[in-house]
Amino acid sequence: MSGTSHPPHAAGAAEPAGPVGAAGPAAPTQHPHGTGTADLPRPPADPAPPAAPATAPTAIFVRLKLALLRNGLRQSTGRKAVFVTAIVLALLFGVLQLLGLLLLRGHEHVEAVVLPVAALLALGWAVMPLFFPGGDETLDPTRLAMLPLRPRSMVVALLSASLVGIGPVFTLLLLCGAVLAVAHGTPSVVVALLALPLALLTCLALARAVATANIRLLTSRKGRDLAVLSGLLIAIGAQFLNIGMQKLAEPDGLSVLEPAAEVLRWLPPSSAVSAVHSTAEGSYAPALAQLAISAAALAGALWWWQRTLRRLMTSPDASTLPAAEEAPKPRRRVAGLAALLPAGRTGAVMERTLRYAWRDPKTKVGWASGLGVGILLPVVMAIQGNASPYQSCWAAGLLGVQLYNQFGQDSSGFWLVASTTASARDAYVELRARMLAVALVAVPYVTAITVTSAFLTGSPGMLPEVLGLALGLLGVLLATGVASSVYAPYSIPQESGKNVAPGQGSLAAISILLGMLAGAVLCAPLIAAIVWLRTTGAHELLWLVLPFGVGYGFVACVLALRLFAPRLVTRLPEVLTAVTRG
Amino acid sequence: MKAEQQEDAAPAGLDGEAVAAAPHVRQAVEIRGLWKQFGERIAVSGIDLDIPAGQFVGLVGPNGAGKTTTLSMVTGLLRPDSGTVRIVGHDVWRDPVAVKSRIGVLPEGLRLFERLSGRELLTYMGALRGLPDEETERRASQLLDVLDLGSAQHKLVIDYSTGMRKKIGLATALLHNPEVLFLDEPFEGVDPVSAQTIRGVLERYTNSGATVVFSSHVMELVESLCDWVAVLATGKIRARGSLDEVRGDAPSLQDAFLELVGAGGRAGSGDSLDWLDGGGAR
Repeated sequence: MSGTSHPPHAAGAAEPAGPVGAAGPAAPTQHPHGTGTADLPRPPADPAPPAAPATAPTAIFVRLKLALLRNGLRQSTGRKAVFVTAIVLALLFGVLQLLGLLLLRGHEHVEAVVLPVAALLALGWAVMPLFFPGGDETLDPTRLAMLPLRPRSMVVALLSASLVGIGPVFTLLLLCGAVLAVAHGTPSVVVALLALPLALLTCLALARAVATANIRLLTSRKGRDLAVLSGLLIAIGAQFLNIGMQKLAEPDGLSVLEPAAEVLRWLPPSSAVSAVHSTAEGSYAPALAQLAISAAALAGALWWWQRTLRRLMTSPDASTLPAAEEAPKPRRRVAGLAALLPAGRTGAVMERTLRYAWRDPKTKVGWASGLGVGILLPVVMAIQGNASPYQSCWAAGLLGVQLYNQFGQDSSGFWLVASTTASARDAYVELRARMLAVALVAVPYVTAITVTSAFLTGSPGMLPEVLGLALGLLGVLLATGVASSVYAPYSIPQESGKNVAPGQGSLAAISILLGMLAGAVLCAPLIAAIVWLRTTGAHELLWLVLPFGVGYGFVACVLALRLFAPRLVTRLPEVLTAVTRG
Repeated sequence: MKAEQQEDAAPAGLDGEAVAAAPHVRQAVEIRGLWKQFGERIAVSGIDLDIPAGQFVGLVGPNGAGKTTTLSMVTGLLRPDSGTVRIVGHDVWRDPVAVKSRIGVLPEGLRLFERLSGRELLTYMGALRGLPDEETERRASQLLDVLDLGSAQHKLVIDYSTGMRKKIGLATALLHNPEVLFLDEPFEGVDPVSAQTIRGVLERYTNSGATVVFSSHVMELVESLCDWVAVLATGKIRARGSLDEVRGDAPSLQDAFLELVGAGGRAGSGDSLDWLDGGGAR
């Protein structure tokens, strides 16, 4: 397949086949000799010495990639099991998708399905390196900067190497399904044979080019911060995909995709797949144009990649660069807000808590999932036919737990807090400010979601009781969050992807579970009030739940602060020890 | 509420005690029977130490001697198993209000609020310390300027180099003008230029009558900076006193130190490594 896959470099790619086969058994030690060309078994195959280095890399890189894959099997049993399971699942999923696409053959909207599939694949490949920078070590060309390689030969070698792996196989399976679903008749099969490698290589070249262009970002702190967010984006993206799938599964749901397909038909790499369809329908001229668009996109991606490679390898190492390019600019993002916050410790702590919600990747993930899932769940439930304004309690619950393990979120910067917290009053102000910061976002957000969902579900009459319950729940969770922060602090490691330091996992799980349970129990009076008013038919009094809920949550918060702030002062060293682990 | 009242009531009584103790000798730190054990391992085994005020004090010892543990307990960041610590007359554990406003700390490892910029960190600390905003701004600007952090003041601390981190850490420790400053390995991993800056600031600070206690295992540094030294090894104080007293007849503090911790001449004597003569043969 790789033979057909290098049209622009056909001449260069054909030559390595010989030395590769010959060098194969001789293992990687062959490489240094390869540049010398003196003691190779078949040196006369290439008379021009400068071309010799260009032939070797492709084989070396493919072998390197294979070795990396093989080494995936040489880990501990647990990791090996995960690795193998991932491969099997990916292949299984790929084959099922292939079969599913084949089943669509002849369906009137088949093109509307396969074109988005190809587009999604390309999008995935383009975005993936940004979220999994450590996923593929061969992606990092700065590791190769010391080797005497020219960008052009590196592009060929790295592109060939990137054909090896689970991702490319999975992509190939899907693209096979896509082109086979629309291919009818010999001419379209011929076009399919061209379109398939074209689309696959475009995906791979795009991924490589994006990774290379962003390598500075990916190896920097900002890149690592971004990677922490990836899980969240994927989870939320999967939810949207899920919703989309449900929409499509409805009768005639596929027609929804028609407008998208109209556009994608002329966008690479979907245009290559569309060319197969056009050929099958006998419209050869558009087919040719569509193929040309994809080929041009591939060439463009390769050109971009080669250009960034050249620039990257002839400029200083990424690790020394940040010091030079720093542009000191005042960070005034929350300045407007800061002016509105109260003065003194309260304002300073609120400002820092809100800044951390934006700047610290792990805190940001917590906030973003609270805000995102809080709005997503009511939508998903509504689509699944479980619409109810009470679904807005999800947002209250998810935002309420943001106050849990507050000091763990500080990591060991907590010693600064500990060294300035001397009295119960200090602790009270500190905890109250953190609670206010969470409430500052959570109260309007929960209110907005509750009001919106009450109106959208056509039951504005339920608004007071639901809002009362939601705000009451929020208050209760904030109150239990204070207790959890004081009595069950645990460390959140800054560097690794883990959210709990080793050995503290059960503590974290238990504290959140107990907190949730306590939250539910503490909310019982509110729920009981609603149930009682509803069963006794006193619907006209249901509005009372709103003031009751708000007051209940408020009192819970005040009591928690009064009760636990003095405990915090006496527990400061223990809290510090707990959050400094890992 | 009750606890707050207790907290408020406590300082008065202790202040009275402190006033009574003050006329003797002015001690910055008084440590009595300080003990800390982590599981089986005894990190600090019963330290008694009086540190004179207004001096540049070095706490020296090999790695694992208990320097960090001692400093953490003295500054109220780690609870001792037993023993008492008094700073300028106030008990660290019974009177935290009086102590925490009088000390500045630069712990080892030095993880700060990494996602704040240098200036934001100082502003935040100023608010936690209860300083008026304008005063915090004034002091922060001067500290950033003197410590040569002006150009990096809007950069996030997480992107700082080791030297810059030590300097911003020092700035947070100095911001409230403490009476006693505790620094754990302030010069570790710091480039010579930053080290000289830190040194200059510390010298100026002690000249005003304040006390600096810092730990280190670089003897040349301690010798050139300190007036008073305590040698710590395996959780115990091995020697204390002015630099001359601790040095004694030894040619340098390094030699006196090696003698004290029982490592003197270990590498140079005996028949171990007798094959190591660069001859190349087996």
